[in-house]
Amino acid sequence: MTSETLELARLQFALTAGAHFLFVALTLGLATIVACIQLRATIRPSPVHSRMVRFWGQLYVINYAMGILTGLVMELQFGLSWSGLTHFAGNVFGGALAMETLVAFFIESTFLGLWIFGWGRMNRWLHLAVIGVVTLTAYASAYWILVANGFMQNPVGAEIHGDSLVLTDVSAVLTNESSIAAFWHILGGALVTAGVLVAGVSAYHLRRRTPHTELFGRSLRIGVYTALPALFISVTSGGIQLSRLEDIQPMKAATFSDDSVRVGALEVEMAEQLGAGDYSPPGLARVAALVMLVVFALLFMLLMLNGLLAASRWMIVRARAWHWLLMAMIPLPYIAMISGWVFREVGRQPWVVYEMLTVSDAVSDVSDTAMRMSLLTFSVLFGVLIIVTLWLMARHARSDPDSVALGSTAEHSVPEDGGDADRPDRSGAVLTFVGR
Amino acid sequence: MMETAAVIMLAFYAIGYFVLGGADIGAGMLLPFLARGAGERRLVVAAIVPFFLTNEVWLIATAGVLIGLFPTLDGVLLGGLFPLVLSLLVGWVVRDAGVWFRGRVDGAGRGGRAWRTTCDAAVTVGSWVVAGSWAWILSGWLSGAADGVMTEPAVAAAITAVMVLFALHGLAFCGLRLDGDLCRRCARWFGGVGERRTFVLTSAVMAGLVTVAGMAALPLSGAAADQGTLEMLVPGIAVVTPVLLAGQVWAWRLFGHRIRDPRPGSREERTLSL
Repeated sequence: MTSETLELARLQFALTAGAHFLFVALTLGLATIVACIQLRATIRPSPVHSRMVRFWGQLYVINYAMGILTGLVMELQFGLSWSGLTHFAGNVFGGALAMETLVAFFIESTFLGLWIFGWGRMNRWLHLAVIGVVTLTAYASAYWILVANGFMQNPVGAEIHGDSLVLTDVSAVLTNESSIAAFWHILGGALVTAGVLVAGVSAYHLRRRTPHTELFGRSLRIGVYTALPALFISVTSGGIQLSRLEDIQPMKAATFSDDSVRVGALEVEMAEQLGAGDYSPPGLARVAALVMLVVFALLFMLLMLNGLLAASRWMIVRARAWHWLLMAMIPLPYIAMISGWVFREVGRQPWVVYEMLTVSDAVSDVSDTAMRMSLLTFSVLFGVLIIVTLWLMARHARSDPDSVALGSTAEHSVPEDGGDADRPDRSGAVLTFVGR
Repeated sequence: MMETAAVIMLAFYAIGYFVLGGADIGAGMLLPFLARGAGERRLVVAAIVPFFLTNEVWLIATAGVLIGLFPTLDGVLLGGLFPLVLSLLVGWVVRDAGVWFRGRVDGAGRGGRAWRTTCDAAVTVGSWVVAGSWAWILSGWLSGAADGVMTEPAVAAAITAVMVLFALHGLAFCGLRLDGDLCRRCARWFGGVGERRTFVLTSAVMAGLVTVAGMAALPLSGAAADQGTLEMLVPGIAVVTPVLLAGQVWAWRLFGHRIRDPRPGSREERTLSL
């Protein structure tokens, strides 16, 4: 193990986690929007609403795969590359991950399968409940991951016994302020991401004057009026986190305000307390924080403008310059999300568990070659898959809502040859998913 | 007491994965051999599709239980088996991408056909890589080494045997899930024992293999998490497991029927060949 192995392991984890974060942000937000539209479509069934559920649901399903695939590689990377972390903090950190996989992810995936393939095979209220469970377990998943991450930022409820941590106060771990505020912050960010995407894709169709004016007009409104209040949730919880930073991670706060005197003072203080070492985070943390603030300001102004314009039906259908703006906004929440994440994670360097374990003590004893091979393999593999996923998503976003495969079997669940009218075609949803 | 419960929970999820996930991995391995032509490949993939997600979550759950209840062991195991875990993950990702993306390009032309052929190839190659990685890991465990990659020539025989088991288990699963000609082609290998009984048999062998391999190699005693952590997690997992099982049972009841090709041509063929 050399210092290069450490850098490679960090880069690999950063790339995997970053990709995971961006895809699950949309998963989390879009699941909520789809579930809400399906709620409306279930209470008062109408063709336009059921088409909306299927169109946005299909986009959600395409996006979902990358979240799982990067997520499982990430989960196993804790053991592969960071055995020092599982050894030191496993008693606390491992518990949160275990709960995430069982309480959240396992149920989410099982119910997602039931939702996709159960279309037309169950009562519509039951089908609504299934997407409700998928959405709630996605939130639960975010919560448990942030319990693990919040503990690493602000280790509470545990004590060092020998060479590892022991859990002493479960409720302190579960209500860690670093977890709770971050949960609301990310929830808001995810809804902004999904809302802006839904509005932008709708604007594309309205601008092209495709025949589905009602479907995309309604969707545009849903997107705009989801993103605006969600941004306030995100800002409020972000502000709370920032105001508490001085107490929880003073070094990150000093880096953020670019106060070199304070950084120097903290360096000396930490060296006295924890032994000699370099305790100031890389400059990237501050750059990311500034990018986040600029993009946030831009989003704030644009979303306020959108909120005003979307009140007018005429504007929704006719304002083609605004449609262009809405489409151009799609990447903004992603940039804000990833730079906020970089600030949070780079800003706590060199610590993996704050003031307890450094990243260089956490890395596994793996050879340089092995780490390089694994970095190269996953970069190429995920690079290709991300391009394919984005291409498929763009392709679906531009397609005609009448051609959506998801849920199409529910409308004619009897085989085309009419052979067994009394026995509906139970393989329909599965065969449609598989393709021709 | 708590430690015993922790071992049982780990074993439960691991066996669940190898029995359920192993079945669709085996089916993926056999995809090009079982199916004659693109039409039948579609049916074999359809046999996997409603279950691959609900099956593979068992492994994610196993990894979660491992890191939660045996945090130190997680690092020791995965670190020592680095290259094999790496190839396992690559195979898994490739396979899932194939299953997930196959139907997302639905053109009837050459482009659409090439897309689906590529996805079928990804499912097949990915399944072989996953089965091969597991076979190598399990063979190492059977010879008593938990955290190293075995390279003795004798291991090759064990690897082959475990891969054959994966394939047979997949074949039994296909017999249960498919209809008509495809089903008969699977059943032929087991000499008319009956599809359900065959699947129970291959499942039992799979479960036995995992249990023996795990017991032979894994240093589970003394590796469990701290008592305080176990006292929180073990009851938590015990409470949530029945809920997880209920979801799985529901999925099997809803999607456990045989995949039938609804196109008129194939229906007639089936009636004739009966």
